[in-house]
Amino acid sequence: MSDVAITVEHVTKAFRLRSGGTPTLKSAVLEMLGQRGRRRFEALKDVSFSVTRGETLGIIGANGAGKSTLLSLICGTMASTSGSIAVNGTISSLLELGAGFHPDLTGRENVYLYGAVMGIPRQKMSERFDAIVDFAGIRDFIDQPVKHYSSGMYVRLGFAVAVEVDPDILLIDEVLAVGDADFQRKCIGKMEEFRKRSKTMLIISHDLHTIRSISDRILFLDAGQVLGIGKPDAMVSQYEGFSAQKNTHSVSREWGTGEAKLTGVKFFNDKGEATNRYRWGGALEARISYETTRRIDDPVFGFGLAAENGMLIYGNNTQIEGVTIDHIEGKGTISLKVNQLSMAKGTYLFSFSLHSSDHRTNYHRLDNMFPIIIESEKRFEGCSYMPCQWKK
Amino acid sequence: MVNLLNDIYKRRELLSLLVARNLKIRYKNSVLGFFWSLLIPVFLILIYAVFARMLRFDGGRPHYLQFLVIGIVCWQFLIMCLNDALNTVSGNSNLIKKTAFPRLILPLAMVSANLVNFLLTTVVLVIYLLAMHLPFSHLLWLPAVVLTQCALCLGLALILSAANVFFRDTEHILQILTLGWFFLTPIFYPVELQFTIIPATLHWLAFLNPMSGILCSYRAVWMSDPLPPLAFVGLSFAVSWIMLGIGILFFQRVQSRFADEL
Repeated sequence: MSDVAITVEHVTKAFRLRSGGTPTLKSAVLEMLGQRGRRRFEALKDVSFSVTRGETLGIIGANGAGKSTLLSLICGTMASTSGSIAVNGTISSLLELGAGFHPDLTGRENVYLYGAVMGIPRQKMSERFDAIVDFAGIRDFIDQPVKHYSSGMYVRLGFAVAVEVDPDILLIDEVLAVGDADFQRKCIGKMEEFRKRSKTMLIISHDLHTIRSISDRILFLDAGQVLGIGKPDAMVSQYEGFSAQKNTHSVSREWGTGEAKLTGVKFFNDKGEATNRYRWGGALEARISYETTRRIDDPVFGFGLAAENGMLIYGNNTQIEGVTIDHIEGKGTISLKVNQLSMAKGTYLFSFSLHSSDHRTNYHRLDNMFPIIIESEKRFEGCSYMPCQWKK
Repeated sequence: MVNLLNDIYKRRELLSLLVARNLKIRYKNSVLGFFWSLLIPVFLILIYAVFARMLRFDGGRPHYLQFLVIGIVCWQFLIMCLNDALNTVSGNSNLIKKTAFPRLILPLAMVSANLVNFLLTTVVLVIYLLAMHLPFSHLLWLPAVVLTQCALCLGLALILSAANVFFRDTEHILQILTLGWFFLTPIFYPVELQFTIIPATLHWLAFLNPMSGILCSYRAVWMSDPLPPLAFVGLSFAVSWIMLGIGILFFQRVQSRFADEL
């Protein structure tokens, strides 16, 4: 037995999108003749990674990043367009909230059907049947057709079956989102037990907190490409930063006369490391580079800090703080220091501006373009902390 | 090929489960259910028998009714497989999209379920023929005939079930083709009638239709009809097994795209 459970090499998966309707001979002939060709959509592009035996790999990424397609390819329901996938061991999978249950069959029949699909003898399934039903907590409904199940019951039974068939490799696509808190705890407990028994797991989840704690490594996918694979903390922060950047598109804009330009902003923490993640109460420094086409007298630099939806939380500029700049010309930088970040944890957007002292001319404004992330264990209500004391 | 057989053998429990599921759906009302599946051939036989009498057509041979019954019962086995084939893959999209197993099991289970149904029907058929005091012959030949018809049914079912995933109009094409095939097959007339049209040197052409050789064989077994020359029957059998080969090759070639299309 080798130590590698799954090897994915240069895998590309392309779908051909149909213009609409069900496939018919006519549409096939038209396609062959080159009329009305299908659009090609690459759900995964040249993806390579490997998973070692006993490892838990989390997979994160935005909707449509290709996470579910990747699991489908690994479990073998789909075939890749190019590249190769080698799997070492038996796989059990729970893809997209269902284990391939037949709606008209009862829970009991579906359990045995799943066992048969996995190639597990009926005898063994009978031995595990009680454990499955108990774990799913649906003893009263086991002889009802699964089409009458609630989505929670459906997922619970699916998870229970996928786990109890005792595979070498378990693939789970977003189950934590559906079950209630109690079931989620049970799931996580089961996954921990799986880990201890050195089984391999691949988990997709949007619950970043859980996936960070349960994974050994995390694979970060976006638009079908691997943006990173590595330590959970690092990958989750990369993903958060990335999705924050994406989110800003709706509220961000850039405008101005163009006589002067803010050419770039770099963020540093109190240790002087470049980052956009900060601890609550920590300090932040932004170094703003600018370039002008002519001499500008008495300019004002300003910044704003907004919530993710664009709502301004705080703004300030050099004029308010009484910092006069006689003139700027050519290239230069200006530094902004915020000594104490007191916002609640989350993502915030920085805006920077360069305008005239009478506010009439906006040379360049970058609204809500720079996301930063605040991490905090400090609990309070609202979006910003204010130092306060209680006395009795 | 060996791998495929091995894979299927490993999932033999899945196969038997799917066969049971197929039969359960068909015989939902247990005893009465099977009764219903007998009714269709009985009805067809009645219609043809009545019309044959009205038209004074007896195929120029004795025991025309028994001849007709055998033809229709065996033809029905094929037709049931072909009609069910349309939905064997596309009707199981849930299983195909969410779980991995050799897809070939689905058509195989469907044909097996129909085989069970056919064998039950033949029990009734045999009782009827015994009551008519028709002698059996070549009984050892029977398993080979049934097996060959299964090969033909599975081969065509593989092609149809896969094709229907990609072209939903397979259903209509199938209807037209089976109607034509019905009249080209010696079901309600003896194959000798075709011989009167085809030049003597080309009589083998009639047996390019695999169902010709299969039906002649069934009649040889169950009503001691003279068996056509072995070369002719062999041709029909060869065509059947070649269809199975083509079916497997085609199905295996396109099955990886099922999950994308469904």
